[in-house]
Amino acid sequence: MNIFRKVDVRKLGMICIVGMASAVMAACGAKDGSENNLIVVESEQKQTVNLFSPMEKTEADVENVARSAADKTIMLAEEKLGVSVGYVTYTAEDYQDKTYDDVTLDRARNDMDDLYLLNPDTLRTLAEEGKLRDLSGLDCVKNLRDVVKAANVVDGKLVAIPQEVVAYGLFVNKDMFDKYGLALPETPEEFLECCRVFKENGIETPVGANRWWLETFVLAQAYADLYNGGNTEAEIAALNSGDSKYSDYMRPGFEFLQEMIDKEYVDADKALVSEAIEGEGEDFLSQKSPIVMAYWGAANTETAYGKTDFEMQVIGFPSRRGQMPVMPMTGFGVGINAEHGEDAMAVLDIMLSDEALQIYAETNRVISPSKNVEVECVDSLKPLNDRIQENVYVLGSNAGMDVEQWGNTCLIVRDLLGGATVDECMAEFDWLQEEALRKNR
Amino acid sequence: MSKKLIRYKGEQSISAVGYQGGTEIKMGKKHNESKMDRGISLLVSIILVFLFLGIIVFSVSHKISREMAASATQNLNESLDLIKCTIEAILNKEAEYQRLMAQGIAKMEEPEEYIRKYTRSDTMMKIALIRSGETEGVSSTGEVFTEEELDFSAGGTIDGLPVSQSYLNYMGTWAYCIKCPVVDEGREIASLYVEYVYDSFDKSLPEGFYNKKAMLYIMDAETERFVLKPKGMGERSAGHLNLTDFYRANDIQEDGLREEVEACLKENKNIMFYHDIRNKDSLSYMWSVNGGTLYLIGYVPIEAIQQEGRSVNQNILIVVVVMLIAFFLCCLLYYLNQRQQIKIRKEREAEREISNRRLAEALQAAQIASNSKTMFLSNMSHDIRTPMNAVLGFTTLLARDAENPEKVREYTKKIMASGQHLLSLINDILDVSKIESGKVVLNVEEFTLNDLVSSVDAIIRPMAAAREQKFFLEVTGVKHECLMGDETRINQILINLLSNSVKYTQTGGSIWLRIIGLKQRSGQYEHIRIEVEDNGYGMTPEYLETIFDAFTRAENSTTNKVQGTGLGMAITKNIIELMGGTIEVTSEVNKGSLFRVDLEFRIPEGQAHKRFWEEKGISRILVADADTEECENIQMLMGDVDVQADVVHSLEEALSLLQGHGHVQNEYHAAVLGGNISDTGVLQAVKGIREEVGDALPILVLAEHDEGGVEDVLRIKNTGVLMKPFFVSAFKEKITEMQAELMPSEQTGTDRKDSLDGLYFLAAEDNEINAEILREILTMEKAGCEIVENGQMAVERFKDSQEGEFDAILMDVQMPVMNGYDATRAIRALEREDARTIPIIAMTANAFAEDEKEALNAGMDVHLAKPIDIDLLKQVIRKYTKGE
Repeated sequence: MNIFRKVDVRKLGMICIVGMASAVMAACGAKDGSENNLIVVESEQKQTVNLFSPMEKTEADVENVARSAADKTIMLAEEKLGVSVGYVTYTAEDYQDKTYDDVTLDRARNDMDDLYLLNPDTLRTLAEEGKLRDLSGLDCVKNLRDVVKAANVVDGKLVAIPQEVVAYGLFVNKDMFDKYGLALPETPEEFLECCRVFKENGIETPVGANRWWLETFVLAQAYADLYNGGNTEAEIAALNSGDSKYSDYMRPGFEFLQEMIDKEYVDADKALVSEAIEGEGEDFLSQKSPIVMAYWGAANTETAYGKTDFEMQVIGFPSRRGQMPVMPMTGFGVGINAEHGEDAMAVLDIMLSDEALQIYAETNRVISPSKNVEVECVDSLKPLNDRIQENVYVLGSNAGMDVEQWGNTCLIVRDLLGGATVDECMAEFDWLQEEALRKNR
Repeated sequence: MSKKLIRYKGEQSISAVGYQGGTEIKMGKKHNESKMDRGISLLVSIILVFLFLGIIVFSVSHKISREMAASATQNLNESLDLIKCTIEAILNKEAEYQRLMAQGIAKMEEPEEYIRKYTRSDTMMKIALIRSGETEGVSSTGEVFTEEELDFSAGGTIDGLPVSQSYLNYMGTWAYCIKCPVVDEGREIASLYVEYVYDSFDKSLPEGFYNKKAMLYIMDAETERFVLKPKGMGERSAGHLNLTDFYRANDIQEDGLREEVEACLKENKNIMFYHDIRNKDSLSYMWSVNGGTLYLIGYVPIEAIQQEGRSVNQNILIVVVVMLIAFFLCCLLYYLNQRQQIKIRKEREAEREISNRRLAEALQAAQIASNSKTMFLSNMSHDIRTPMNAVLGFTTLLARDAENPEKVREYTKKIMASGQHLLSLINDILDVSKIESGKVVLNVEEFTLNDLVSSVDAIIRPMAAAREQKFFLEVTGVKHECLMGDETRINQILINLLSNSVKYTQTGGSIWLRIIGLKQRSGQYEHIRIEVEDNGYGMTPEYLETIFDAFTRAENSTTNKVQGTGLGMAITKNIIELMGGTIEVTSEVNKGSLFRVDLEFRIPEGQAHKRFWEEKGISRILVADADTEECENIQMLMGDVDVQADVVHSLEEALSLLQGHGHVQNEYHAAVLGGNISDTGVLQAVKGIREEVGDALPILVLAEHDEGGVEDVLRIKNTGVLMKPFFVSAFKEKITEMQAELMPSEQTGTDRKDSLDGLYFLAAEDNEINAEILREILTMEKAGCEIVENGQMAVERFKDSQEGEFDAILMDVQMPVMNGYDATRAIRALEREDARTIPIIAMTANAFAEDEKEALNAGMDVHLAKPIDIDLLKQVIRKYTKGE
């Protein structure tokens, strides 16, 4: 027995030594190249698809969830197609800079990139100019929700598809509402009352705002009845024919906004020069402003409002029909003369496939444009999500309307912030409507 | 005294060992402590060596790291310089080309037309011309061009030409504009503006460096905007807006550092510094390009630039780990080897200790044996001298009183007794010798318990009677009395045990011999327990421990009147064990002893004893005995031979059965009556039965040995007496005898039958005395003999003899010239008819079984051991000469 053990130990020792020697020799050994050229052959250059998208200003050690989610789907496409997607980004340094939308238009018009992430107004503009390809032939289209398709069809072409259905809502500091015994507002009157109470209690600016998203208040009040009254198509048709006026729809919202400005519930001057989140976010997070407006994903993103020291809830905007989510449609579009157009189409097809959208939705906890993908949202978004699930919402942009809504309203709201009267603003809408009617004629 | 001395020695010896042991323990402790000390110092040494090695390895690896880091920083420097030079070369070429364009334009008649028709290239997006003295001009994009859109205030130049701040051009990409004067004949007639895009640098810059881990931006120094992130530089998703964004994103917030960086930027200097970027130790750099109008901004993780150094260190670590493993493996092997050696040494020491202990034990045993032998010799000397003394003494007396026949008879009787005692002494010694040397071979044959008990009874009963002791014999529960075994040896066991009991029981005491049938373990074997009990002197517990050892006796024979060799019990035990049995003894001083022997005997397969009863027509007998146990015993024994035994416990019942139911009486073929069956005596009982059933029924009376009045029964016809205990074989013999008596028989005089009258022998005997004794014995038996001195002479004498001259040859074995075996072979080999048939009887002092076997092998007919038993001799001679 002992002998066997002894033999075993010796064998083990020998095996260990031989193993180690082999491992070291293998590790240290190098393949003798038979060729004289010492340069390692570089892997074949991959086809590159350029994607133009906005870039958020970054913070140290902070994860951008929305960006990560998109990255994952792009990596999936790269893996499946063997192409490489290059990022081209732009963000305005301040309000004096060209906006992202301006730069998008310039780049798309000059065929600088292949893929673009487009806001509703640029999307419509470029589509009207024929700078975007029709995406209706992509495989992923058959999985899309009807509302997504309807909102992105211009002149019968599906020009963009989003990775998430962006819903805008009011982000409220529930703790502060509770502190002052306030219920979350349903109507514009209730909202103004809440602002009054906050103001009286020393809250200097109850509503934090930037130069982009105040339009959501206007749109919610303008189209709450149009989209939820059961007569949507006829009402839009009347607008497109000129039988009814956009300004009539818009007026209550502008007047409401004017009242907020007049009563200093909103700091108009600051809002006019503030970038999204950048301007009002700090006050909201530090609980100086109990109310801000933002998109769905901001509730999940640490760079926005994903991490607060208070109980945050996201509700719809006040309207006659109660809290109203506003859903503008953004999306990826492909340039008509894109250098790598076919590859860009293929990349988009993968990025918008159910597999990719599942990854995206799970990472970013958003509403997916695919009817096959469902994920549970974070608690703070539930009030907003409940309204959407009840099919109660206002579209922030609608390709079916001859007058582009999202971009124009934003600009006209900026005019209001800049000191224009409500009537002047309404005249602007009337001019836009006339221009559209003239073009159609 | 000697015992005390031995004990004293023993104690001394023990205490000496203890002392030594104590010393050994202390020494062992010291040894262990010194081993531990050695171990600790060895361990400390090894740790020190490893520490030393570790410091060296660490220093070397640190040095390599430092050198590699310096080298890597240098490499980074060179890489950044290279990129810088590339960009500057592009800018200079652009400026140079623009000068050429301006020269060309200066010669044109319609330069505005040229400008308008210009088609953009990848590098030059737009060109414009403003004539001197004017504020507006034309551009390649068609619109009116003014310089207000451009900012040349920073004063940056490229190759002497003013360059604007970076701006987003109409294509949505970052651009800069170079302004070049259009000079014709030494007069500046216009300014040529050309817009270049930073994207065009991308094609000329490397596709990343440091394995694409390094981050690089091109920054416009004046606006601090990041105007280009070349492809493949740093992480794809990471983008920065401007220098402030870069600081914020990478947490470069230290005031001192920021100030230093700002100062460098102002002075158009390069700066490189270490900083943690997203939890990675990184090297950040800001590299001035084109005299500070542009900057290369970025960072590279230290792990990326020190990859080679890390790889070298990893390899060093691998080598160190491998060497450590090898070292520890060697240590392990050495340790295992040492452990094996220690184990072997310990085993050897243990073996040596065992061997020493065995030697000591053997020495002690040898000393004890020597003492025992000395004692034994002393005893033997006494024991042999005693009867020898009697022999010699009585021989002297015999010589003196030769004329007085009565005294002669008395003396010869005593000489005979002494001789017998001497013989038994010698037999015992030989037995012990044989048993101890393993030469005893059991002679297994069929025997009956009846014969065994009878022979023992015949010997012991007179001995007991002589000491006025009562001897009780009981046999119970035995199913088979006919068994296979060495009867002689069993006899020897019983005689030894019983004669001991007789010897060591006071006059008037009692001795019991019980033969008990135990539960059979196997159907083929009878399990029998023999108990010998007495109420004699008993034995001390100390003696009981040595009772079965050879050469021991209850007391020294020199101080005790009891004669014996002290070998009896040893022989007994050895024989029992040889038979596969056990013996145990219990005893108490002055109360008696009980020996219990358990033996198993094979039951013979033959049915001869059963056939006897069938032949005699006995299948049913009547047993009438008041003792129930006795009745059951008889019933069981008879059952073994297929004879039904009906049992009654009174005479009346017996008579009733014998008389009853007409013909039933005839069904009993014999009747056994116990001596206690009737109060009126067994004689009356037998008579009573005879009156009722007549003489035809054999009646046997079962009587105790000392029971009186049974002799009268024998006078009644067809009636016999059986001594207790009941045995089937005794019953069978009695039935045979009784049936023989009933039949007229031939008168054969036993005297005549026993006689050797008229026989003539040839005897080979070299010892004259023995020859004389033989001659006298044969003469006494009226037989004649011729004695020769050796085997050779015997052969020759037989060869010369007439056929039939000798009735048999009595052959000694050990003889000069030719021994008995050779002589027998020679005689058997003679070519005469009677040479093969004449009985040759070995008469020799070689009394072992092997001797007997050799004698038979040599051709002898029978082997008789000396001294000659005259009756046995007669019996044997009769058997072989008269064919009995």
